[in-house]
Parts: sequence; structure tokens; C-alpha cells
Amino acid sequence: MNRSLAPQPQEKISFDIPQIEKITLQNNVELYFIKKAKLPIVQLILFSSSGSINDPLDKKGLAFLTSLLIDEGAAEYDALQLNNELEKLGTISSINVNHDTFTFSLLSLKEYFERSLELLSKIILEPRFEEKDFGREKKRMLDKILQLKDEPSYIAASAFEKQLFGSAPYSFPEIGYESSASQIVNNDVINFYKNKFIQSNFSVIIVGNIEKEEAIELLNKYLGKLNSSSLVKNDFVIRSEKRKRIFFVDKKESAQSEIRIGNLIKLRDSEDYYAARIMNTILGGQFSSRINLNLREKRGLTYGAGSSLNYYRSAGYFEISTAVNIKNTEEAVSELLNEINLIRHKINDDEIDFAKSYLIKQFPSKFETYSQVARNISPLIVHNLPLDYYHKYEDAIAKVTKEEIHKAAIDYVLPDESIILVVGDKSIVQPQLFSLFGKELIELDIYGEEVK
Amino acid sequence: MKKELLKTNYEKYALANGLEVILYQDKSLPTVSINIWYRVGSANEKPGKTGFAHLFEHMMFQGSQNVPKEGHFKYIQEAGGTLNGSTSIDRTNYYESVPANYLELILWLESDRMGFLLPALTQDKLDNQKEVVMNERRQRYENQPYGLSWEILFSNLFSSDHPYSWPTIGWMEDIAKFELDDVRNFFRTYYAPNNASLVLGGNFEIDNAKNLIEKYFGGIQKSDFIPQVVAPLQTLSENKKIIHRDNIQLPRIYLAWHSDKAFDNHDAALDILADILTGTKNSRLQKNLLFDNQIAQDVSSFQYSAKLAGSFIIVATAKPGIELENLKSEIFREINNLINKGLDEEELIRSKNSIKSSYIYSLQKLDSIVDHLNHYNFFLNEPDSFLFDINRYEEVTANDVISAAKIILSKPYVELNIIPKS
Repeated sequence: MNRSLAPQPQEKISFDIPQIEKITLQNNVELYFIKKAKLPIVQLILFSSSGSINDPLDKKGLAFLTSLLIDEGAAEYDALQLNNELEKLGTISSINVNHDTFTFSLLSLKEYFERSLELLSKIILEPRFEEKDFGREKKRMLDKILQLKDEPSYIAASAFEKQLFGSAPYSFPEIGYESSASQIVNNDVINFYKNKFIQSNFSVIIVGNIEKEEAIELLNKYLGKLNSSSLVKNDFVIRSEKRKRIFFVDKKESAQSEIRIGNLIKLRDSEDYYAARIMNTILGGQFSSRINLNLREKRGLTYGAGSSLNYYRSAGYFEISTAVNIKNTEEAVSELLNEINLIRHKINDDEIDFAKSYLIKQFPSKFETYSQVARNISPLIVHNLPLDYYHKYEDAIAKVTKEEIHKAAIDYVLPDESIILVVGDKSIVQPQLFSLFGKELIELDIYGEEVK
Repeated sequence: MKKELLKTNYEKYALANGLEVILYQDKSLPTVSINIWYRVGSANEKPGKTGFAHLFEHMMFQGSQNVPKEGHFKYIQEAGGTLNGSTSIDRTNYYESVPANYLELILWLESDRMGFLLPALTQDKLDNQKEVVMNERRQRYENQPYGLSWEILFSNLFSSDHPYSWPTIGWMEDIAKFELDDVRNFFRTYYAPNNASLVLGGNFEIDNAKNLIEKYFGGIQKSDFIPQVVAPLQTLSENKKIIHRDNIQLPRIYLAWHSDKAFDNHDAALDILADILTGTKNSRLQKNLLFDNQIAQDVSSFQYSAKLAGSFIIVATAKPGIELENLKSEIFREINNLINKGLDEEELIRSKNSIKSSYIYSLQKLDSIVDHLNHYNFFLNEPDSFLFDINRYEEVTANDVISAAKIILSKPYVELNIIPKS
């Protein structure tokens, strides 16, 4: 037999992207619903718009702490009883806060979905916020903040966002700082719940082996008292410093340096998003990208390197991210800067064909699990994308032209406005960065503030 | 729970060269998954030459006779597929999922590297991936807080001639001196059809799949001799305490006991014990250390069972100002409480329910189903052991948990303290 040629694909199996139904419940909560049969599973995600951008300046970490406390006792159950009720169902529940949203997630067997939802409704509508639970969870959060000082990748990410967003709400880590989180008292949490959380905008995603009518009935029964506000406007404009800035943060005895390079970009609902996505796929969005093949497969400088387009509700940023052997910091940074210049000058047809094929054909695998399908709906809510977004996705990718992709490289990857940030042992990274950038180099502390 | 949910229809056979094949058809899916287990892990390595099995997780993506370097990823990604591999102490797995019409592509790719890797294996590729693996070691272990704790723990729990005493990624000094000839020999010995099992799952026609598997894999040579791992029996005659300083804020304690191997006597009861000790907010140790006394930032435990041996491990991180001794005495207080006073039926039910639902949740992904089939085939020689496995937990009684705790946790143990440098 002849092995030398790759076998060609057979006829494509059709794949129907599930239809998303959007229903406005009587309390103005928007329900995004997909029925998915096969397994006896229901996945629910409930969104509130009360994310960390609502934190007062001197109490950064308030939304985060509220999320730790909201399920520490509700209605007739104290903290341990409440958790026990959920645990014995085998339901996996989680509560998360990011800058834009405060979310609850339930993955449950169908037979226990109603009881799980009932417990969730108590958490949302009747949290106890008792002083003794407050003391414990606040201490836990402060000790977590302390532990994060050990994580080079966390230090890199938070110092990078601090410099990128300046004084905008996105510049602060959701968990806050020791100085701000230690100021929070239980009344702050209760007031956040009353004035921000419960008065926010709510949406629910349900993907499960359940009929739409039943889902609506259960939501009305258990979350009917929730009132979703349409008045919440969390939009704001980020002002960027339009110049290149180079930073490092000292992390003693680190074996590697963490490198971040990036800049602000347009919002997620921009028309050129698809062109930018293809461009980033070629540059650093997957294993066979230029950046990874150069830094890992050609030079062996790292375990992995890549780039991404990241989106909050009111901001977007492009970011290159990698960790390299600390003695190779200079070579890695200069190679990354070189890749930035190259992508702005030339993109080949075969790279474009590969990227389009990758983005289009991986589609069925993105809709496999209940949680994947539900999570796919999230960006539609956060970024106001149309309901038929996924149905138009394939066409939207396919029709992007080479010129548009080239323009996206020019518009999204901005060497003259980029932040270059390295976290590593000062005695080793500083001389290497100095030889590249000279006096432009600025030292930051682990919070991303300039060291004077 | 409906039992038929967990009944997996499959067909198992072997090619003339010894390759085990397991077919699991599900035509409701748009994809196919291939999952190959090679019965080689870090336990097949020798002291001074550790890290080979994991190195292959890299070299297997560096191209083979008919696939260029970087080609493996490119072909799969262009087809919209996903791919990866993983290395454990006992085995290595390689897997791809692609849209169903690319079935033949993944069979071609997997067979080319099983049968024809060596002609394409060069010194340059080895040198490059040595660097990548050393960076992986730095990124995942050396540059992580507490990152070296596992290799310190296991190299103390197991004697140096036991193959579970070194880390799967290998020691840094061994990785630095990988030799091309050793790498080639390791491949010739272990990466052969008679040392592998192939699971194909998803949307395909059975006859067509059989023909294609024979076409691509049937001509690959078997390995003449596959040495079996022999492991010396492990017992600790007394407790052992190790103190390691790291760049961390909060001290952490690790306790490790020799326990039962996978699917052995107390294996399932020890999984449940771990859940009862630390699995939920209401578990014994979370309640004591995190909730009531608030002396720990986190606590976890697990039964880590493998082919040759098992270990039971408890880990807890101290709150600022709290001594590890303090955590340790509370941990033993709870263990003794459990042994002496028994457990509530409710604790047992909570634990069993969470294990059952996690089985159902795992059926969502074809990737995970096919890997499970290989897992059961490897340990039990019966791919469809989902029900058997759940029943193992279903049948565990309160007394089983107590006697497992009594037998295993009263033995000598290794204690590791990771403490701040400054």
C-alpha cells in the first residue's frame, strides 16, 4: 500500500447547530433555551450584570466576597446545611464573579433539577449573610490574595491589566488587594446585594433534557420574585495610552520569565472580528501558529507560546503570552516583537486557508457537552450578539478576504501602543531587557505600580 | 438511575500482529474519536534514564516517515479536530477527535507513527524537544509554588528501585542527557502493536472501520520482547518526615501512606473515604480545619491507585501563623474519630451519589468514553465495565470504609512539610 499521501475526507456529515430560543419571562428575565436529549442532564447558568466593575474604589473585592458569601446559608438552612442539601443530590454548583458578571452554574441530573433550582432560588433570594460566615470567608479571601503572590502567571496577568486599563474598572483584579479587601465589612456585602445584585439585569441559560414549557414553569415558580432591571448600563470607555511601554516585575529565584505583550483592541461586536480572529489564529491562536512554531518547535525556548483576543463587555485586548527559560528572555522577547512586525507585513494564502478550515470544521466539537453548549450562549448575552450568531458563523468566516485579514493585523496588533511586561528574577531579566530597550525599561511592583 | 445508560456496546478483537481493537459505535454523533493506549509509562524506565515515556508524548508529534515535522497537528487542526496525549506511571495515551468524514486520516496518522516513527527521528528533533521538555518541567513544576512537592513525596514513599519513585516527566539531569540510541531502543521495545490497544468511537460503519484498521495497522511489525515491570514490595518500617523550603507564603503538609492498587481490595472504599474526609464542605476535614477551627486554607485527599501499587494522600495548607503540627493533630483526630465512632449513613449516600452523577456527566464526551473503555480494558480486560465500576462503590458499606481507614491509615507514613524560605 502507498502511505505517502494523506487520505482524503469522505462526504461531510451534516451537523445541525442547535436552535437557541429566547423567551422573556414575566419578571423580565431573559431565558435562552436549548433542549438537548440523549443524557438525563440539565445545565443552567444564571447571569447577573453585577460584576466587579460595581466595586467601590476603596473596597475592591466586594463583588467577589459577596459571591463567596451568598451561598453560606440561605432561608431555613445554615451554611453547612445548605451545602449538604446540594451535595447529596450530586449536583455540581459554582458561583463566579468577573468584571462584568456574577454567575451561578448548576449541572444536575434531570431528576434532581427541580430541587437544585429550588435551592438556587433560596441562595439568590434569601441569603443570610451572617456575621460569623462573613469573618471566615473574608479571612479566606485575604489569605488567597496572600497566596497569589506566589504565582508568577497571576502577577503577570494582573500587572499587565493594571497598566493596560489605567484607572478603568477592569484594571483591578476581581479578588481585590489586601488594602482594599481588608476594608470590607459585612454591611458592605449586604448593601452590595440589595443595591447592586438584586437590582441588576438577569438572564438564564438552560441546556438540558427538559421541555421548554417545564423549564419556564420551574423558573416562574422558583425565581418568579426576581425582577430583572433593564436600566443597568455598565458601559464605559477606556482611554489607552498610545505609546509603547516596557515593564518588568521582580520575582526572586524564578526558573522562568513570564512574558506578556499586548494592546487594547475594538469591542467584541465589531464587524472585523472574524478577520481579526483568522489573523490571530495564524499568529498565535493555536498550536501550529507562527508564534508557537517559532518559540517552541524551532527554538525550544518554551513549553508553549500563543496569542489571544480577549473581550470584556466594554473593552477588548490583544495579548501574547508565554513563559520561557529565564536565560532566554531577551531572545524570546525579540522573536515575539519580530513576529508582530511580520504579521503586519505578510500573510500567506495557505495560512489563511488553514485558519479558515480550522475555525469552521471544529464547530461540531464545540457543541458536545451540555456545559459547552450553555457556555457558547454566554458571549451572546455579554456582548449583545444576535441569536443566529452561530448559524451565520461559517459563512462569516468563509467570506473574509485576504485584504480584510491584513487590515486586521494592522488594526489589532499595535507595536507602537503595546505593553511589554516580563515577570522574573530581576538580576537575570533586567540586563537582558536593558540590552533590548535601554532606559525605556520600568520596574513595577507585584501590583503593577511603578517602583519609585 | 437507569442502568442501561451505562451499558456500552462494543466489539473487541485483535489483529494478527497483536494490536487490540475495540469498536464503539454511536451514530448520533458528528465525530469519531481514536484513543490508543500504549502499555508503557514511566514505570518502564530505569533509574538514571527517567522521562522516556513522557518524552515520546513529544516525539510522537514530531512527524514520522510520511508525516512531516509539525504535520500531525496541522492535519488534525485543519480537519477541525482536537488531539493530545498523556503519560502516567503505567501507560501513555494518544488521541484525536475529528469530524466523522476524516476517519481515514486519523488511522493513517496513528499508524504511521506506530510503525514508521524511527526513520524520521533525528538528533535535531530530539535536541529541540529536550529543550521543550525541560521548559515544561520548569513551567509546570519548578516555577510553581509547591511544584516539586509530588516528586519529593513519591521519591520518599517508594524505595529508589521502585518504578513509582521518580516523576513521569523525569529528573532534570536525566532529561538533559537523553541519547538518540536510547530513545530509539525504547521506542522499538514498547511502541508496538502487541503492546497497544486502539479504541475507535463515534460515527462510523463497523465493516469499513475494520477494513481500514487492518489496512493501516495490519502490516506493522510486532515487538519481539516486551519486558514486564517488576516492582519490589513496599512497606515503611517507621514514619519519615521531610522538610522542604520553597518560595511560598503558607506552609503545606502532605501525608502519604502505602495503600491498595487499582481495583484491589480497599480501592473503592478508600475513594469514598477520601470523599468523606475532604470531598465537600461538610466533609470531616473541611468542616474541622476550614469551617470550625479555621486553621487551614484548603485540604484535600485522594486514593491514588495504579497498576503496581497505590497510595493514600492527604494535603492541607496552613493559615498564616498556624503550625503544621496543629493541622496534623487535627487530621489524625478526625481519622481516629471516624475509626472509633463510625460514620453516618447520610455521609455514605452523599458520597455515592456524587460518584454516580459524575459517571453520568462523564458520558457527555466521546473523548472520555473511549478513554474509559481503554482504561477498563487495561485494568480489567473488559472494556464495558462502567456498571461493574459503579457497583464497586454501590456495595461499599460503612464498615468497609472504617476498616479501610483502620488498615491503611494506621501504617507508617511519609510526612512532607513545605515551608517558606524566609
